[in-house]
Amino acid sequence: MDKKTEIAKRDDQNIEKTRELYEVAPAVDIYENEDEILLYADMPGVVKDELSVNIDNGRLSLSGVRKLETSGAASWEEFGNVEFVRNFSVPQTIDVEKVEAELKNGVLTLHMPKSEEAKPRQIEIKTA
Amino acid sequence: MFTRFSDIDRLFGTMDLLRQRLDNLYTDYGRPYGTRWLMDEGFLRANLYQTGDGFEMRLEVPGMEKESLDIKIQGNYLEISGSRDQKLPEGYKVHKTERGNGTFSRSFTLPDDVDGNRVEATLKNGVLYLTLPKSEAAKPRQITIN
Repeated sequence: MDKKTEIAKRDDQNIEKTRELYEVAPAVDIYENEDEILLYADMPGVVKDELSVNIDNGRLSLSGVRKLETSGAASWEEFGNVEFVRNFSVPQTIDVEKVEAELKNGVLTLHMPKSEEAKPRQIEIKTA
Repeated sequence: MFTRFSDIDRLFGTMDLLRQRLDNLYTDYGRPYGTRWLMDEGFLRANLYQTGDGFEMRLEVPGMEKESLDIKIQGNYLEISGSRDQKLPEGYKVHKTERGNGTFSRSFTLPDDVDGNRVEATLKNGVLYLTLPKSEAAKPRQITIN
């Protein structure tokens, strides 16, 4: 290999690689009551192994990779393989140990219980 | 001379890169924010693939049960309808509702007639997979010359 080809080779390696997967934000519903924060996210086509839910330092990150089996030539394609990514700020009072996640029919359900100290407390008034 | 060729290669590499980026941009065109389920417009995203002796179709149906989906086939006319009706949890305060409930209906005219008796439909992880074999009459036939 002469020097010029070597230089050309190195240039090729420097070309910025595009991401294989396009990132999209899943649609979510968020509800809250006194005990927990409840989140639903639409992630059609994501399997359990390709989904990750992280809560760290008041930050909730969801990431799910969709890999669809396809065969044949595409006549039309309106959706493809994507990575569903979305980040939220969550209160520090979430009891991370007790968070429950469930994936069913392409919908992620996330129960985030509030820790005991964060719950509102009913104070009983005593009459003297 | 040699360097000039590699310059051209690099130019094409950059153009490919740009084209890919633009392709990615347009797949998301017209959506308000990221991927939004098109339920509100009564329209679900679908893919159609042609295999040699039939078609395969994929539809995004997150959160839908098989009982709430209805698939009809007649010749090359395919109609898929359904509804999503998720119970709102009671006693909860609402922060965000982007997902939406409702009904949808979408019809397709396939390039060839389909054998309605052999159509298979599977619901997996919020995606509906349809296998649609072509009807015998629509298949190409080998004619032997006497």
